[in-house]
Amino acid sequence: MSEPNGAHGNAGATTDNATAATTDASLENRAKTPNHGPTWWLWTVIAVIVVAAIAIGVNLVKPKTDAQGNPSTVETGGKTADTVTIGLKLAPTNLDIRNTSGSALDQILIGNVYEGLVARDENNQVTPAIAKSWDESKDGLTYTFHLNENMTFSNGDALTAEDVSWSINQLIKNQYHDADSLSMVKSVAADDNANTVTITLSTANSNLLWTLTGRPGLVFDKDATYDAKTEAIGSGPYTVSKFVANDSITLKANPKYWGTHKAKTQTVIVKYLADDNAAVNALKSGDVQVLAPITENLASPFTSDSEHYTVKAGDDTDKYVMAFNSKGKNTSDKRVRQAIRYAIDHDELIASRGGADKALGGPIPSLDPGYEDLTGLYPHDEAKAKALMQEAGYSTDKPLTLTLTYANIYGTELGDQLRSQLARIGIDLKVNVVEFSTWLQDVYTNKDYDISLVDHNESHDFYQWADPTYYYNYDNAEVQKLYAQAIAATSDDQRDELLAKAAKLVSEDAPADWLFNYRVTTAWANGVSGFPVNLNQTLLPLYDVTYTK
Amino acid sequence: MTSDKTSRTSHTAAQATVRVNANVPAGPTAAIVLHGMWRRGEGKFSIIVLGLWLIVAFVSLFWTPQPLLATDGYHVWATPSAAHWLGTDGTGADVLSWLMAGSRTNLLIVVLTVLFAAAFGLLLVAAMVARNGTLAGASVVVVDALISIPTVLLALILAVPLGASVTVIVVACGFGYGLNLARVARPAALLAARSSYVEAALASGASGWWTFVRHIVPNTLPVLLVQLSLSAGTAVLAESGLTYLGIGVPSGVPSWGHSLATSVKFINVYPLTVLWPGLIVTVVVVALNVFGDVLRDAVDPMVNAELRDGAAGADCDGGTLSDPLRAARPSHTVGQRTAVSVRGTADTDVAGRRSA
Amino acid sequence: MRFVVRRLLLFAAALFGVSVVVFAALRVLPGDVASVMAGLNSPASRVEALREQFGLNRPLPVQYIDWAGGLLRGDFGTSILTGRSVTSLIAARASITFPLIVLGLLIAIAIGVPLGVAATLARSSAARTAFHVAGLIGGAIPALWGGLLLILLFSRGTGLIGLFPSQGFPLDGWAAPGQAIWSLILPALTVGIIVGASLMRYTRSALGDIAGSGRIDMAMACGMTRAQAVIGVGLRLAMPQLVSVIGLTFAEMITGVMVIENLFALPGIGSGLVTDVGNRDLIAVQSELFMLAAFFLLVGLIVDLLHRALDPRLATAADASEVTA
Repeated sequence: MSEPNGAHGNAGATTDNATAATTDASLENRAKTPNHGPTWWLWTVIAVIVVAAIAIGVNLVKPKTDAQGNPSTVETGGKTADTVTIGLKLAPTNLDIRNTSGSALDQILIGNVYEGLVARDENNQVTPAIAKSWDESKDGLTYTFHLNENMTFSNGDALTAEDVSWSINQLIKNQYHDADSLSMVKSVAADDNANTVTITLSTANSNLLWTLTGRPGLVFDKDATYDAKTEAIGSGPYTVSKFVANDSITLKANPKYWGTHKAKTQTVIVKYLADDNAAVNALKSGDVQVLAPITENLASPFTSDSEHYTVKAGDDTDKYVMAFNSKGKNTSDKRVRQAIRYAIDHDELIASRGGADKALGGPIPSLDPGYEDLTGLYPHDEAKAKALMQEAGYSTDKPLTLTLTYANIYGTELGDQLRSQLARIGIDLKVNVVEFSTWLQDVYTNKDYDISLVDHNESHDFYQWADPTYYYNYDNAEVQKLYAQAIAATSDDQRDELLAKAAKLVSEDAPADWLFNYRVTTAWANGVSGFPVNLNQTLLPLYDVTYTK
Repeated sequence: MTSDKTSRTSHTAAQATVRVNANVPAGPTAAIVLHGMWRRGEGKFSIIVLGLWLIVAFVSLFWTPQPLLATDGYHVWATPSAAHWLGTDGTGADVLSWLMAGSRTNLLIVVLTVLFAAAFGLLLVAAMVARNGTLAGASVVVVDALISIPTVLLALILAVPLGASVTVIVVACGFGYGLNLARVARPAALLAARSSYVEAALASGASGWWTFVRHIVPNTLPVLLVQLSLSAGTAVLAESGLTYLGIGVPSGVPSWGHSLATSVKFINVYPLTVLWPGLIVTVVVVALNVFGDVLRDAVDPMVNAELRDGAAGADCDGGTLSDPLRAARPSHTVGQRTAVSVRGTADTDVAGRRSA
Repeated sequence: MRFVVRRLLLFAAALFGVSVVVFAALRVLPGDVASVMAGLNSPASRVEALREQFGLNRPLPVQYIDWAGGLLRGDFGTSILTGRSVTSLIAARASITFPLIVLGLLIAIAIGVPLGVAATLARSSAARTAFHVAGLIGGAIPALWGGLLLILLFSRGTGLIGLFPSQGFPLDGWAAPGQAIWSLILPALTVGIIVGASLMRYTRSALGDIAGSGRIDMAMACGMTRAQAVIGVGLRLAMPQLVSVIGLTFAEMITGVMVIENLFALPGIGSGLVTDVGNRDLIAVQSELFMLAAFFLLVGLIVDLLHRALDPRLATAADASEVTA
């Protein structure tokens, strides 16, 4: 038995006689034709192609070299480092905060590079920023903002009332991102002499101030021209000195900064680490000093090493909303929706994720106005869930098939767990994990889904339940009325009360289950101070951050 | 004229094929082939591994140590214990059960991919050796152009409309491996197609398709076997890679790639879980790669003496078993070693598997 | 000559075909860059406005001609999302992927060729079996798993012996060449081991073929030792075949290392492509896919031509096959 000839995979391998045959043929040919005849020009063709390919290749690489390779300043034994490196997760694809959605931009730019008319603190309350104070008219229709003096942008231009009104008017005129949240604004007028800006509304809006802490209130330099996708010129304590899409942002202290939030650390490098393991390794090896967020399940090496690291979970407004299509073929049946809510063991979900998250029984998280603990409405109760399913005509022997559609960024575990929990009450859950863009199209835009899961990390977003055209397909006139009243309310207490009432109604109707209120866990090397723990995935002021070795 | 001689032997071969298929029961031949494989260490290994795979896949349909859907959020990433021999994963589900159930998904993928690749590849071969010169020329050009598109790229594009699914793996891999197959099998097929017995068959009124299936495909059999078993191995590797990239087996469906991909995320804290799925994939892929080789040799009467002896016996029934295979053997090896054939093999072995 | 002309024509035709197929295939995708930019909580009017702004509402043929015209002028377009030219995006990613592949292939050659020669030279059947098995296993390891094992063995932080950074690329990129290379070692080793195994099998089978043809014996008859003959004559004769295998592997690696890039969190061409597809940044994606396909076709072209130049026997053989084809 001879060894198989030739390695496997070499299916075209020749055997002896074949090679011999070709050799014979070639010998014959060599005898007939001069050997060097046909090859020289062949070589020329190859050479030309290779040279051309290299030339094109070099040309492609060329623009890369203009990205300055300024070596990172290595802290020289001093006490306070002049560079702090921070690891975050979701990277912005560009810096155009007026056009591009996504909390990654809010997180890194608001309060650091751009400043708003007003800002918010780590308890989600409105605080002064560019405006040092404001007056509100009795009817709630006129807001007058008194601005700080001697403000400048990082390019040296003065920041005036004119810039403020221009920024907001541009937003409305060009319908930049979030412009619809200012739909009740009638006019924005600047008074340069009095150094004030007056906003007039057509209807009262108790959310206005909070709204202005976000993108709608940001102030841009109306005289500056720059490529907003790759550069940013604002009035904040930091400037963007280098931006690599999907990878990193280097912030430098703004030497022309005007206010009280002066940067304590010269350079802050933000590194985006999409891969959780890579992120953990980066913190372990000292490549980054802070990691926000860290996956709770991966934090154990740091929690157990409290001598070198601090791990802390912060409050946030992230709601993992598992929405049931209220107009869906099967999910329009309230019993099915309620059964699902009873069937889900929220504590188990939270435990499997490491235990930091908080149970949430309704649409409003604790940091938002109108919060009330609603977890008692639908406690985990498998028997009740089964009974409801039975009533609706389904059982484990005759299960109802539903499809859960969610974006791949949330991992596959949640889907597997939900499938397992719902199987027990007679629901055969098909889990469809898709790209976020596909989710946007199928679920968000076309409302073509049974069950959806998404992390709604927005704050003050109850309006979603009062808008029947939103992808939830939830239409409850009472809720809409209560929300309208809450918005028109002129006192915060009144507003909060109305919102709480509406939220309870929503939760009772079970148009969704709120799996949990995601709390972001942050880990840092001891020696780091001033890093915000609350809300840091949407709001991350870095001026106070220092690192002492 | 040398062609005289070839045509004569080929002629008998062709006739023999018909007779063999008519008269000799498949049983004894299969036993001989299997025995021929079993006698070699590699063969034993691959038969055992692949056999185990089939058994486990079958058993998992009815029984796994723990139900697949038994998740337990309070005991995630548990270390091996009596209840969970290989521990639990990130949802608290039993790793062993998922691996067992995964074997049937992988089996399905492999079988479908191989079928797709064979069908598509042979269709291309048929086009490439067609009498119609334009069709033949055009299909050669198309294969040449398409073969450089990597499987991953194709899978990425397919995954967008289809989402993560078994279909993506099967179509992307089947398409790529089919192209390779076509390229590698073309020389043998061409030789057979240009032989005078095919001409004779056509002249006697046989349809083109019938002639192709009857006379040309058997001549490419040795290439086909090796190529397809390689494709099977590559498909297993591709599954793990594509699933990791999120465009392979969808979430919730057990597969080895799924087990591997989910454990990857937690190697820092729970490194052990990652061992098992990778180990299984490696062993199975080795077995699949070896299988084609061993099978080719076992069906080759030049190598498998038993088959030769058996054939002599079968001769009494009026059929010569060995002849078609004898005819097949030289034809696949004659394929000129052109740049094309080298590319073909390179693509399959190095490139194809890279998709994983 | 006819072969070369036909090959070049085929190349051009294939480029055109690829551009059409890529363009058309991407229009099937659900969702678009406008809705991704608008995100959650934006009214439909805003998505529509963005579409208008980026010209996504124009008829498809117009969009195709616009894009393909750009390609002809060497302009690969501008990514809608990042606002950077596609060439600069690719260049930045290629500066990670290419060094990774080159390093990986060097390791593969360093492992594969000597082992292939040793496997050919091995006399005892135990040694032969050992080489054979090593080759089989090396070629059967899933890239993902191979990489993981290396991380578990050699990475700082996680591994048993903390030698290399396990994941990620240094922030300063190639401005810190030492760190950059260091961070590529584990991924390159993963590539190297797997490709090395198949290279070893190729080397052995090529040498086996040459030995079968009697040329090794011939050289030995001229007074060379077996080792000298295999290395001096055999390896030299096998070179064209090995070169083309390595060339093609190189091309395939560009997307082939996608899993490895992902695992090691390296922002290379493969992971960049996945990101862009996810964001529906179609102009970027179609140009990237086109560039990749063009590259693969180009490598195929060069390999085919090189092969003919290196191996004069083929000039006649291939021409003969063309006549019959």
